[in-house]
Amino acid sequence: MKFTFKATPALFARARQDLARKHPFAHERVGFVIAGCARADDGLIVITARDYMPVEDEDYIRNPNVGAMIGSGAMRKGLQRAYATRSALFHIHTHGGRGTPEFSSVDIKDAQNFVPSFFNVVPAMPHGLIVLSNDSARGRVWVAPKKKPVYVHRFVAVGSPLVRYGEVA
Amino acid sequence: MSRLDRQSFLGADSDRILHDLTVGYVGLGGGGSHVAQQAAHLGVGGHVLVDGDIVEDTNLNRLVNGTAKDAKDKRLKVDVAARTIKAVNPSARVKKCPVPWQQALEELKGCDVIIGGLDSVVAKDDLDRFCRRHLIPYIDMGMDVHDTGGQYLIAGQVVLSSPGCPCLRCFGVVTEDGLAQEAKRYGAAGSRPQVVWPNGVLASLAIGLLTQLVTPWHRGNVSSAYLEYDGNKNTVRCSPRVAMLGDRPCPHMSELETGDARFDIREDPKRKPSSPVAADEATDGAAAQSATRRLLRKLGIRLRPASET
Repeated sequence: MKFTFKATPALFARARQDLARKHPFAHERVGFVIAGCARADDGLIVITARDYMPVEDEDYIRNPNVGAMIGSGAMRKGLQRAYATRSALFHIHTHGGRGTPEFSSVDIKDAQNFVPSFFNVVPAMPHGLIVLSNDSARGRVWVAPKKKPVYVHRFVAVGSPLVRYGEVA
Repeated sequence: MSRLDRQSFLGADSDRILHDLTVGYVGLGGGGSHVAQQAAHLGVGGHVLVDGDIVEDTNLNRLVNGTAKDAKDKRLKVDVAARTIKAVNPSARVKKCPVPWQQALEELKGCDVIIGGLDSVVAKDDLDRFCRRHLIPYIDMGMDVHDTGGQYLIAGQVVLSSPGCPCLRCFGVVTEDGLAQEAKRYGAAGSRPQVVWPNGVLASLAIGLLTQLVTPWHRGNVSSAYLEYDGNKNTVRCSPRVAMLGDRPCPHMSELETGDARFDIREDPKRKPSSPVAADEATDGAAAQSATRRLLRKLGIRLRPASET
């Protein structure tokens, strides 16, 4: 099973712009992307981004040990939107810079704690984690709460020009 | 020297980008056969060929690379297109879908860009919506010969409908009036006049838009385009509707509707029918109409083919 993640450049730009804003105390920002899915042939699943949801300032929690920590309120808002629209839910943040970014060990460990819980709310959709750079992205997708996540095979910015990046062999 | 050296101005990475690209062609008649051939020459690596029709004598006035033997052998149009592509690029990835496009949804969902040469307004509308649902840029070609009282006007258009930009409805290519007129004519026998050179012009414009979209050789933005062809004056102009609509978002289909409404990651695709999403699309007119067409065919009522330009 392979995953392609598609979004309009406007959505990627909206996410990057929001995530680049300074927060009063958190070192970085996070957000959510809700998405639809479709099965293509050859075992390919196409994830199509529907909307970007910023996390509001008041939903961050002070924690000097991590770049950003969000409270249950932020998770609830993301999950409510995913439930209402029957969407896949992706936690998203940025590492900035250029080239294909990598998840940190903290990213992976944290995601393992919260992404599987998304299936309690929208069990029919895959969920996951995305990290952006300024010109690329990396993603991990869970297809079930107890299964190991897989990498997003390819990101596509569906605009002018149409760009494919973050390709994983 | 490699086969693509003369087009290196498209960008240092253009060979790879084009090789990795998969283009879907819906309708491989007069327009689609031209497009597929040019895409093969351009170096596009992946081709999904969708057309359920066979070659007939009446196609030979415009079907590129269609031969009298193809018509005699009742060869599928997808086979003719595949033969053309493979002759230019033997390593091309070619998928043949000799079925109506509504039965090739999974193959089309994997395409990067789809180019359509459909006559029917309903079919254009449905294919545009399908592409938007799956975030696929759609290039639509259309051509008509109008009787203006003893004289004829050849006209056509090529439209690039990209997600987040104006759609065929925004541009006025699909209108309620057009749909109603087509519904009135539904089932009427007879075929539209078609001729080879306007199809060639429109196909070349479509390939130009495709190339600009994936390997822009200049800084012009082509996320949206509406090119009008006047075959009597031999002119192509950008429709004033493009400037009129500007960056206005499309009100006809929201990005919130992307994906398949009934997608379920827990389902085993091997246990599903070959085209599982057909049920979703059945809410759209085309699939419902194709069911009606099947029923009418069983009753022996002949319909005008809808998949040729």
